[in-house]
Amino acid sequence: MTKTSPAYILIFMIILCTVFGTAISSVYYATLDMLKKNEKLHKNRIICQAFKLPVSGVSADAFQKAIDDNISYDQITYQGRPWDTFKQKDTGSIGFIFSGTGFWDRITGIMVLSPDLLKCMAIQFLDQKETPGLGARIEEEWFTDQFKGVPIAWDQPADKRIIIGPSPIPNAKNRVDAITGATQTSLALMKFLNSELESFRAARKEWQEKKIFEVPSPSWE
Amino acid sequence: MAYTPKQVFLNGIWLDNPVFRQVLGICSTLAVTNLLANTLFMCFGLIFTTTLSNLTISFLRDYIPKRIRMIVQVLIIACYVMIIDIIIKALAPDIHHFIGPYVGLITTNCIVMGRAEAFASQNKPLLSMYDGIASGVGYSLVLIFIASVREPLGFGTILGMTLPARDVWWHAWTIMIMPPGAFFMLGLFTWFARRWLTREVKR
Repeated sequence: MTKTSPAYILIFMIILCTVFGTAISSVYYATLDMLKKNEKLHKNRIICQAFKLPVSGVSADAFQKAIDDNISYDQITYQGRPWDTFKQKDTGSIGFIFSGTGFWDRITGIMVLSPDLLKCMAIQFLDQKETPGLGARIEEEWFTDQFKGVPIAWDQPADKRIIIGPSPIPNAKNRVDAITGATQTSLALMKFLNSELESFRAARKEWQEKKIFEVPSPSWE
Repeated sequence: MAYTPKQVFLNGIWLDNPVFRQVLGICSTLAVTNLLANTLFMCFGLIFTTTLSNLTISFLRDYIPKRIRMIVQVLIIACYVMIIDIIIKALAPDIHHFIGPYVGLITTNCIVMGRAEAFASQNKPLLSMYDGIASGVGYSLVLIFIASVREPLGFGTILGMTLPARDVWWHAWTIMIMPPGAFFMLGLFTWFARRWLTREVKR
């Protein structure tokens, strides 16, 4: 069998892929616990930031304690989709995990609303893979800060509850600035945020109607 | 041409430096040098990848079919990049959050592919490994120098530690942490390094 024969090439590639595939899997499984711990810490930190919780320290336990002390967690299932929802014990602010397709990949985050769902209190992103320096700037403070106190225009069409970028209505109060050079990310974000808000409101309404508040809440993991 | 380890190191680190001589790996050079900690992890990732990919490709050079050599090189490089990506994600998640996209791009970093094709596929394993280390170190020295200037000027910190002058008589020079700051620094560094190098070569 010569080096140029298809059989040699095929066998060579199979062996190479097997060896390197095994190596990657081994490293992944060896670090799996650390990866999971890091992921949980990141999630807890983002929740604390979104609800502006007082955290005593920077350890994973400190963030977990802040959440346990201040937040109650519920999972609502609506039309087959589970929604992770959070309620701040003292202020009654409600948060939920949103998810949607950005320009490149899925974007997930948490949005905190006032107890009456009329105002956005905060937005934070858990995961995004937008273009570094452009779309990825959705995580920056100047962008997320714009959402604080923005009213949700429930009386407007479902895709215009929150507007990111130019608005047909001058001085619209439910508008925030888009990111220059990241028009597609901004538009995608606006599209799925509005869709998520609509679905979340419907999910929460159904959940309240079923009066399942009495069911003990599972602890947030 | 037979190389000695000394020549390999001298070429990789200085005479044929991948950044200011060959102008390779510029994307990450510009992107990650606003913080020294990020830069160090990026450099660690690149040295790890160039060293091991050069070593592996050199070991396999007699067995790799010529027709598919580029595919094999990319596969080997991508595997090492995935391994280093997982390790950084596990050990330093905050840093990974920032440099993650660029770590993935090491796969297509011209330095790694260039050394694999130009050196490792034609030389012995040990020498190829030295070449990988030298190229990685050459890249790292430039990045570390640029980051050591950009972070103090832009943030008033070094490795996250606040410098005494910050907000006393020195105020953050924001342009240094933005892309233009990286272009200025890299341009200046390349200019000085090439001037010095040309003078040395003439002498």
